[in-house]
Amino acid sequence: MIMFNYIASFFLIVLGFYTIVTKTNLVKTVIGLSIADYGVNLLIISIGFNPGGTAPIFTWGELNPASFFVDPIPQALTLTSIVIGACVTAMSLSLVMKLREQYGTIDTREIRRLRG
Amino acid sequence: MSIVLSAVQYLGYVLIFPGFLFCFLAGLLLCGIDRKMVAKMQKRVGPPVLQPFYDFFKLCGKETIVPAAASSKTVFLMAPLVGLAALVVLQLFIPIFQFTAFSGMADIIVILYLLLIPALATILGGAASGSPYAGVGLSREMVTIISCELPLVLILLAVGKVVGSASGTGLTFSFSAIMAYQAEHGSLILKASMIPAAVAMLMVIPGETGNHPFDAAEAETEICEGLLAEYSGPPLGVYKLSHAIKMLTLTSLFVALFLGGIGSGIEKLVLLCGLSGAAAGAVTVILGAIVLFLLCVVLTVVCISFAHAVTARLKIEQIFKFYWTAVSGLALISLVLAWYGL
Amino acid sequence: MSTALYQHFPIFAIMALFLGAFLIVLFGNIKPLRHAIALLAVTASLGFLIALVKPVMLNGEIIAYWMGARAPAGGYAIGIALEVDALSLFFGLLIATAVFVSCVYSIQYMRHDDNVSQYYTLFLMLAGGVMGLVLSGDLFNMFIMVEILTFAAVALTAFRNTVNGALEAAFKYLVVGCMGSTCILAGTIMLYAQAHTLNFAQLSAFIPGNMNTATVVAFALLYIGFSTKAFIVPFHPLAADAHGAAPASISVLISGVLTKSGIYGIIRLSYFLFQTMELGTMQFLLVFMGSVSMFVCVTMALAQHDFKRLLAFHSISQIGYVLTAVGLCTAMGISSGLYHAMNHTLFKGLLFLAAGAVLHETGTTDLGKLGGLSKKMPWTTALFLVGAFSISGIPPFNGFASKWMVYQSIYQKAVESGNIGFLFVTIIALVTSVLTLASFVKVSQSVFFGQLPKEYENVKEVPWGMRLAMGLFAVLCIVTGLFPNAVTTYLTQPAAAAVFNVANYINAMMGSGYAESVMGAAAPAAQAVTFVEVGVWQPVSWLLILIIALLAITIVAIAGQYDRVSEKAPAPAPVDGKYDLFFGGEQSVYSQVGGEDLFWGFKHNWRGYFSFMHELHSGIVNDYALWAVVALALTTLYMLIVF
Repeated sequence: MIMFNYIASFFLIVLGFYTIVTKTNLVKTVIGLSIADYGVNLLIISIGFNPGGTAPIFTWGELNPASFFVDPIPQALTLTSIVIGACVTAMSLSLVMKLREQYGTIDTREIRRLRG
Repeated sequence: MSIVLSAVQYLGYVLIFPGFLFCFLAGLLLCGIDRKMVAKMQKRVGPPVLQPFYDFFKLCGKETIVPAAASSKTVFLMAPLVGLAALVVLQLFIPIFQFTAFSGMADIIVILYLLLIPALATILGGAASGSPYAGVGLSREMVTIISCELPLVLILLAVGKVVGSASGTGLTFSFSAIMAYQAEHGSLILKASMIPAAVAMLMVIPGETGNHPFDAAEAETEICEGLLAEYSGPPLGVYKLSHAIKMLTLTSLFVALFLGGIGSGIEKLVLLCGLSGAAAGAVTVILGAIVLFLLCVVLTVVCISFAHAVTARLKIEQIFKFYWTAVSGLALISLVLAWYGL
Repeated sequence: MSTALYQHFPIFAIMALFLGAFLIVLFGNIKPLRHAIALLAVTASLGFLIALVKPVMLNGEIIAYWMGARAPAGGYAIGIALEVDALSLFFGLLIATAVFVSCVYSIQYMRHDDNVSQYYTLFLMLAGGVMGLVLSGDLFNMFIMVEILTFAAVALTAFRNTVNGALEAAFKYLVVGCMGSTCILAGTIMLYAQAHTLNFAQLSAFIPGNMNTATVVAFALLYIGFSTKAFIVPFHPLAADAHGAAPASISVLISGVLTKSGIYGIIRLSYFLFQTMELGTMQFLLVFMGSVSMFVCVTMALAQHDFKRLLAFHSISQIGYVLTAVGLCTAMGISSGLYHAMNHTLFKGLLFLAAGAVLHETGTTDLGKLGGLSKKMPWTTALFLVGAFSISGIPPFNGFASKWMVYQSIYQKAVESGNIGFLFVTIIALVTSVLTLASFVKVSQSVFFGQLPKEYENVKEVPWGMRLAMGLFAVLCIVTGLFPNAVTTYLTQPAAAAVFNVANYINAMMGSGYAESVMGAAAPAAQAVTFVEVGVWQPVSWLLILIIALLAITIVAIAGQYDRVSEKAPAPAPVDGKYDLFFGGEQSVYSQVGGEDLFWGFKHNWRGYFSFMHELHSGIVNDYALWAVVALALTTLYMLIVF
């Protein structure tokens, strides 16, 4: 089962990059960034997964060598990563809005004053 | 006491020999010989050999005019002096056979970069004059520098490789090692692999000095001497002097790189005369300087005067093409041969 | 383990910057307080790092600092750690210096902008991010810091969003930068899946013996991720766009600090984590990318007609030198590469500040519109020339000293390995240097010399605070150029030694003997860093001789009444036009040779190449993203094949 997660996360990352490379609409570019980010998040969660493990929440003294739980570190990492992903989306969308104001378009082929 | 003595000695090196005075006399004399030879080749009478001296002193007596549009008076006036000083210092580092005024202070990569300073000084001085002719001249001068740089780099790397692999370290850039190698194994030009590099170097010399046919940068008939268009009086004289010294510098660099083996001949000659000690050293240096100067004359006549007499000025893009194909090709042959230990 | 006070300094150095950022959010509306907080934060950060020079650089200590004193238990590093060896400290010092000078400059440079308190917040966040990145001992923290600095850099690029192209540049940078960050995160987590740790030291001990497909792919991902931060080819257009649009004080950080963080990441990865630099194939990768960056960017720079954009391309070109030298995997190579990295921060900072000064006074950086400013801005001109000479490698400035060492190390590597490829790298490096000189001649001619256009008659010199900042950089440029031996002995050689003594790095953090126990016989032995220069160069003596010669010549010249006529023309222009420019008898007109038309003779021969490159840098974000993906794919493929 976990293999399916890996394949899906790989697929999401590739899909995200594919969207960024091919779509000429700035909003779609932002969506592409998010998709790639979700792919990585899925990958992180999958790596920390232990079949049959419980949630890694223990009070002091409950933890013993027999405890079987999923790896908590990737979950912490995912949280951070999701926050960062949200920031990326917010920031890039605000840039898109400003770009629309200045250039009158959100087509990447026309937003190319800086070149050469 | 000894500090004072050595200070005086070094000051003597800088100001008299092989520094400023020597450069001044030898450079201008070289320039005069060049002009005379070109005239002879063109069946003209030509100026007297001492004409560059007359020119220099006459220019020194004239008024210095700084154009009102000059963007920086300081740069405009100081550039010629900096260029001249850099050339004199450069000449101090180039060995006169076994003798170097300041040994162990610079290697051939440093020389490569020090050679840029006089050209850069000319460029900045011209740029500061604000003249549009200088703008064109600057562009051409810089392209000429770029053109010469590639072959010069290849030549120097080839020399470094040949000398280094013989001395066991694999590689050297130091002048003293190059001179020691030539004293032991004979001049580098005698090595088959170095002959293309030497030919390439001969072709680089007129380009670096800005002589015919590579003088697009100062093309008098076309852009009125380009960078020097606004110069007059003593600053112009200093530029003319720098140009003359540059001929000396480059030809003596050629001697140091490819003809250094002659030095051991001079030493043997001095020994044969039965001299020893300090006297022998002094005589060797003086003889060396004379031989060096004669060789410089020969080289100047070959690669500057002769080229001047038989060629017409090239366009700037032709200069670039010539250096980056033909001359670099020659130098590359040498480098590859040296690489494979031939 | 005794905890001397200085063990806390690394975290103080990071926290000073972040704390400053938060305080400015609170008190930023009060102008003097804002400047005081920003200056205090950067000064404190610089001070803490300078205090570490003695223990780390001179005594060779490695500071391992565990947050909350959570030292590793049972051979597993769970806590978050900072680890400062000479390499980290070297980059940290560079960053702190650049940030300090840039902050001094900002105070007067940004005074006409609005929302300046946000500017300082982001500025300090950027600085803190980079500082955290180089001092961190933990891969995931490194990722967090990368994100912080990318964010701050993007926001600062778009800070002057009315500037033409600022938003566009920011967006492109955000897209490709975030692709890079995603790669770093993916690589990090793949390593975690293999080693179950994020700690550098533990990873360095674990990975080299356990290389498999997953770790190699992770390496490729991380490598590309840090390449986007260093802006090496094919990510160079982003740097050019960002630099052109950002305020000059931020360009200093992007070029002097951000690119360094990328280089630092690449060194950490390839020398520490994966320890693959012994392999010729890995050396080939770095040297190849370095040489391509070096050459492509210098030619791109020659074709530019915007001051800051030109500087941006040069910035990447110089990073190419650094990467090439670092990729040689010789003591001299790393030492010279780090030396050049340091010089790059100094002279590039100086040049960007000079460009900022021009922008501040004239409102444009278009080379076609400027000219003759040295009459109005003599100080800026002089300082710019110091920077231009340094980057072009004119002796005795610092660029020469480091390039001279870089050439020697590359050529020596060529001779030792017998690989003719390195020979061509040497040639490319030498030729790139003269092309650099050419484009700076172009800048001097079209901005500072030449004719002064009518509309800039009233331009003034920049205020003293900006000159002070530029002067600081200029002095450092000259000092580091004049004393190359001091720099190599006290700064770059300890850093290079740290690179070659990975076992020390691991043991300092995980407890002594850890590296040997995990890696067994494969543990890299500590080795001394020594190298012999194949040439000689004594800048101080050279300068002395030059000064003596120049003095002598000047005295003679002045005595001979060299400048006996002053430039002051009599009030009504003289009838004979003696002081006018020579125009071949025509009436004088404004006829400056435009920046684009200089070096025509050179460009004409390469017109095919230049028009190809112009077409290639299309400015479309999809293309740049495609380059990133292709680079990622090729790097992954290459690494999978060679490992």
